Amino acid sequence: MVNLTIDGKSTSVPKGTTILEAARQLDIHIPTLCWLKKISTTGACRICAVEIEGVERPMTACNTPVKEGIQVTTQSPALTKTRKQIMELILLNHPLDCPVCDAGGECHLQDTCYELGVNRQEFKAEDVNPEAIDRWPLIQQVPSRCILCEKCTKVCHELIGADALFVNDKGDRAFIDKRVENCVYCGNCVAACPTGTMISKPFKFKARPWELKKTASICTLCPSHCEIDIQVKNNQVYRFTSNDDTTHNQGTLCIGGFFGHDYINSKKRLTTPQVGREKASWNEALNRVVTEIERVKEQHGALAVAGLSSPRLSNEENYLFQKLFRAAIGSNNIDTEARFGALRGLRALNKGLGLCGASNRVEVIGKADAILVFGADPSAEAPLVDWQIQNAVRRGDGQLILATMRHTHLTQFASSHLTYLPGSEIALAKGLARLLLDRGLLDDAELARTVTNIDELKADLADVDLNAIAATTGLSLASLEQAADILGTAKNVVIILGADILKSSYGISKSAVIANLAVLSGALTPQGGIFPLDDKGNSQGVLDLGVYPESLPGYQAYATSKAKFEKAWNCQLPGRGLDAEGILQEIEAGKIKFLYLAATNPATFANSSRWLKALAKLETLVVQDIFPNAVTELATVILPGTTFAEKNASYTSLDHQVRKTTRALASVGDSRADGEIFSELLGRLTATATGYDQNAILEEIRGLTDLYADADFNTRQWNALGSLPYEVPEQSLKYQLITVSDHADGLQLLLGKSMSHFGTTTTFATAVAEVEGTGLLQISPGDADQAGVKNGDTVQLTSSSGTLTGQIAISPRLPQGIVFAPVHFPALGAAALIPDGDNRIAVSLTKV
Amino acid sequence: MSKVAFSSWGRQIVDNRQGGDAEVPVAKKKLPVTFDGEKQIAALMGWDGLILNDPDVDVVAMAAEYARRVQEDFCCAKCSPGKKGTRVMQDTLDRIVAGQGLESDLETIENIAELLKNCKCTLCATSAVPIVDTVKHFREDYLTYIKGTPRPGKKTDYKVKLTAPCQDKCPAHIDIPAYIEAIKDRQFSEALSIIRENMPLPAVCGRVCPHPCETACRRANVDSPVNIMVLKRTASDYEWKHNLTPPTQPKPRKDKKIAIVGAGPAGLAAAYYLALEGYPCTIYESLPEGFGGGMIAVGIPAYRMPRHILQRDIDIISAMGVEIVYDTHVGRDISLQELKDKFDAVLLAPGAHKSKPMGVEGEKEGYQGFLAGGIEFLREAYMGKPTGMGKKVCVVGGGNTAIDCVRVALREGADEAILLYRRTRKEMPADSWEIDGAEEEGVQFQFLILPKKIVVDDQRRVIGVECVRMELGEPDDSGRRRPQPVEGSEFVVECDTLIPAIGQDPELSFITDDTGIGITKWNTVVTKFVPLKNAEGRDLNDPMGNPLSRILITDMDGVFASGDAEIGPLTVVACVGNAHRAARVIQRWLEEGEAYLTDDDFHEDILSHLGVYDKNEQVSWLDAVDRFHQAEIHGRERAAKGNYNEVELGYKDSIAVQEAERCLRCYRVSMIAVQ
Repeated sequence: MVNLTIDGKSTSVPKGTTILEAARQLDIHIPTLCWLKKISTTGACRICAVEIEGVERPMTACNTPVKEGIQVTTQSPALTKTRKQIMELILLNHPLDCPVCDAGGECHLQDTCYELGVNRQEFKAEDVNPEAIDRWPLIQQVPSRCILCEKCTKVCHELIGADALFVNDKGDRAFIDKRVENCVYCGNCVAACPTGTMISKPFKFKARPWELKKTASICTLCPSHCEIDIQVKNNQVYRFTSNDDTTHNQGTLCIGGFFGHDYINSKKRLTTPQVGREKASWNEALNRVVTEIERVKEQHGALAVAGLSSPRLSNEENYLFQKLFRAAIGSNNIDTEARFGALRGLRALNKGLGLCGASNRVEVIGKADAILVFGADPSAEAPLVDWQIQNAVRRGDGQLILATMRHTHLTQFASSHLTYLPGSEIALAKGLARLLLDRGLLDDAELARTVTNIDELKADLADVDLNAIAATTGLSLASLEQAADILGTAKNVVIILGADILKSSYGISKSAVIANLAVLSGALTPQGGIFPLDDKGNSQGVLDLGVYPESLPGYQAYATSKAKFEKAWNCQLPGRGLDAEGILQEIEAGKIKFLYLAATNPATFANSSRWLKALAKLETLVVQDIFPNAVTELATVILPGTTFAEKNASYTSLDHQVRKTTRALASVGDSRADGEIFSELLGRLTATATGYDQNAILEEIRGLTDLYADADFNTRQWNALGSLPYEVPEQSLKYQLITVSDHADGLQLLLGKSMSHFGTTTTFATAVAEVEGTGLLQISPGDADQAGVKNGDTVQLTSSSGTLTGQIAISPRLPQGIVFAPVHFPALGAAALIPDGDNRIAVSLTKV
Repeated sequence: MSKVAFSSWGRQIVDNRQGGDAEVPVAKKKLPVTFDGEKQIAALMGWDGLILNDPDVDVVAMAAEYARRVQEDFCCAKCSPGKKGTRVMQDTLDRIVAGQGLESDLETIENIAELLKNCKCTLCATSAVPIVDTVKHFREDYLTYIKGTPRPGKKTDYKVKLTAPCQDKCPAHIDIPAYIEAIKDRQFSEALSIIRENMPLPAVCGRVCPHPCETACRRANVDSPVNIMVLKRTASDYEWKHNLTPPTQPKPRKDKKIAIVGAGPAGLAAAYYLALEGYPCTIYESLPEGFGGGMIAVGIPAYRMPRHILQRDIDIISAMGVEIVYDTHVGRDISLQELKDKFDAVLLAPGAHKSKPMGVEGEKEGYQGFLAGGIEFLREAYMGKPTGMGKKVCVVGGGNTAIDCVRVALREGADEAILLYRRTRKEMPADSWEIDGAEEEGVQFQFLILPKKIVVDDQRRVIGVECVRMELGEPDDSGRRRPQPVEGSEFVVECDTLIPAIGQDPELSFITDDTGIGITKWNTVVTKFVPLKNAEGRDLNDPMGNPLSRILITDMDGVFASGDAEIGPLTVVACVGNAHRAARVIQRWLEEGEAYLTDDDFHEDILSHLGVYDKNEQVSWLDAVDRFHQAEIHGRERAAKGNYNEVELGYKDSIAVQEAERCLRCYRVSMIAVQ
């Protein structure tokens, strides 16, 4: 600890603390303009300068660390004079367009002038008055308002790693310029700008900050669940903001959070119920659903009814959905798209590690010494994880191992690049495991303490042929050894697996070998962890609440816990139900006649054409969603649901944090919150009271499960579910023996998430669509050369299950042999080419 | 012109305008009379004041121009007082020069100068120093402008240059404050790009540079110098540790070709910069493939410079289209004349790979155990050839090569490694950290000892060396006390191997008389230069005694020289700086038919002679964070037989950022008025 006095008050702070931080701890206010807690200090504005006894010049408090025994003065006539004069210089030729400036009402420059009593201008200089920069998409830059605090360039470079913004030119002409090709349109520059220099074009001139009603909520586009304030005027969402000091995301948002909200008020929203092609009242529509359910049940039995719910919906809604089907309809034919992703991870992690998802809080990622990202693109799938990874490897000294088929945004920060051949994930994980053994990097005592089948583990590793693995993965032994050394010598290890693992065939086996790696590398500690990523907003909630036939809410096996729920719900529950694949087969077989699609669109599922063909065979298709799509075209009844912004509900994040959304605007048009629709149907079918009561539902969940015991929704202090961080009990881990192997031949079409879009939802957000409006087929320069195609050319991809035509974009991020298609654009038709439950297929490419 | 009209340089006011002939030593000794051998230096304006040689220079106009250049060309704009304050300064002076000034503007200038002291760095703050001097001491001149009756000043040209103490002191003139700032901003790749602008072997100079820059670091005036070298290593290592591709993109290929003799630091650096400009270069290297790098490879042991990292720097240069023809000795396998005929220009950069004789009795007898020299020993050890070394090894010398020899001797399996030096540890030219390193590894030192005679047995095998004790006498030219033998103090140091390592010479036998290329008495290649004299009429020389501003072309047309063979044996960084200039001169010669130095070259030389760093400056700064040291392997095992693993380990990135934050960014602007 270092002792010092500030304005006569003594204090003791840790070494490395800045004078500014020490002063704030003493509640001594030092003015700042360029200081921002979450980035490195800049020292640009100079108004935080303080006097230190014995040092002739004033020192800037923001970036001067404390020294033992110093005496600091923060207020003096000389300092006041200097601060005021520097403010005058900052204000020199600052435009007087405050009345129309976008920062009006929240201008930090104005506030600071007011605070320092800067009320005159004694300097003059020629006003160069540079033109506003309007040529960048979504963001306008008004250089004349810029005070060059560099907050924008620093959030861009340090937090996001985009490095798009930079200071260009010299002297008074200097301005913030942009390498537009690097921009990821996260909007953090706009959020960080203390003046009206960086402006969101969609927000510009739309509203004054004080007119907007702020509602604290979370963004549910992905499982990061960044905390936001939804800002609304006249039942219209104008912007999302996030507070640096009070949110777990430290105020940082991604493109989805910052620019992706205008789908909420999109004119394309479904706002009226429809029966057949006709608009209908809610009563008519709901009646039709009820009568159809009763008719089908009567004619074909309850097993002819099935439903798919969605990770876009809340915990309460998913709870209601499964209850509606199981208790009110009497069918356990329910599932969600988590079947093709998150559920696979759950299976493997549960079997091997006893986990129901991530083993720890995301914050540990930011402090890890080694991070293995395996088959994941965290920047796209859960940006918060990306930011935490950058915390670890850029602000800290952690090392990143990227085991991915293609290069991503994080590639630039990785120390080890294991760019493996498609289908070689299991081999790669086994190779790393064997190298941990060979290089003496295993903690034998800990393995003996925790692993039940240590002999099987040893035997399995002994069988690994490293040369074969090098050949299968396409990686050199040296690069595998380097990665194993990083993983094996690090103290705090984090392993992240994502879409390329979970959504691919053999996803459970692939997850299992990665779970094995977590055991072997010692990732299962309070300072480490394993994190499966599913890009959808509430996949964890879907699993928690048992929206799949094998399980009741709270991970209670259906068969064994049925009786408990029958008692609680006072009904007879059906027997085994069908999963998504079973439902599809039974629709095709003509046995399932009624399907309820709640906020889910099979046109985005793998083998989507098979789904669409099957849906056409149904007698009744109920579609509850917010936008028209390929399945609303086929619907018997359309029920317009709402977005999270229109709901009071809770969601579970990728690290088991349960956070709530608060209704920030009335349901758009005649739409209804999905939970209200389920409650209404539940009421009508069981002839009980209707109405959605969030607290009552949560109470019911708490009563029947171990979930949410700690969650307190009355404060912003969300509490954890379960006892994280996870500590491994004795003899609780199982090394999983995996003998299957995936493979790939020829050019592969890979389906995945883009960095800009979230499901199909954000394709209805105009700002995001401006960045990525259509689905392009990304291909490597080498493959483009070989096929004789250029950027923008149209090509045809043909797989064993079909053909698609699309435009290509040549991307150096792709290795030769992979064509990447974003999953968000059903019109591109990539999902139709992919086999069931997979994310990849061999294709041939021809120029059209 | 030996009299100065006015000087405020070094904050000492000398005013001879009203008569008097007070002297300004710095102006008299350090500054040349002419800028480039022809144009007179009329005035110098800079961070430390104003030197006015010619009283007719329009000081007000010069101050206005100085302010304009600071604001428009150099001010980084990254702090508010700097960005806006220098703009007010510029506009105020412009108004005065335009005849629209007010007397109160002079107060504004002084007010702004005060505010500029709050700047983030010293660029804008020091720029106010000479301007305020002019306001204080040339007030009448200002008032004549303000009253609208300026006297017509002499017409002068202004030469302007941005510099910094460290950058000036660095022989390669790397923009050190810029790359340190990039590291501070965690822009490691940008830092490396900045380094590469003047240093194409960043991994090397991030490890083995004697870092003269750090002797000119202003942070030392607060606590300790910034660890400039290890920060360079950080930027360089970041690239390969993240598998990043170097961004160097050569210009379209040109027709004219250049041959380079020697793939050492000078040859590689010249090739790098010529290749960047699109010139095809072929380097002829006498050693076989795998041993490129010249003295870096054969003279610097791998525990200081890991080979794969050196090779990566060489590979990057090769990837730019530079061809390296190995195993080809110019003068034996191909003659200089053949190169001259085959190529449009030839650069001689053969280095200095021949040990100097020691002058002891018996050294020419070919005794077993008396080795040819330190540099030959290091080369053979590195190349895996038999060195002839025994178990008890004496090395004679006090430089880095001598230290390398004793440390390599341990790694080659010597039981004892003893260094014999005729002065004391304090006078050793070797870097102090190298001496410490040797000591830690168990090297024995014998100081104040001079070998006289090799002692051999009847088989002509070395069994010892007869030495005489020395004592220190009066200081010599170098300022070091001259060692003198103590009569009758002869004694024998037992050893089975004796290695002289007292210095190297270039091996220039391939330069035959018929080429017309001159060789100096120090056995270096003569190159043309622009004679610069100070006011006392003395030639200005560089610290090696060479003329200050050399054009680096030899007496043979189209043949240039660089590196140790041109400068005299020095350092990697000196060779790189020298080669960079050679590359630029060669380009001018190829494109314009004339080998010449530019204003920027002259300005650089003038500043380095003048000196930008002032070790006596009182730097006001809180000394809260002292220098961070890089991690290092400790213990004798690091020098065990066959262990050439790197000893120094560099910084973690987070430490590098903290060390970078210590930099005071001491930029400053020099403006010379010439006529």
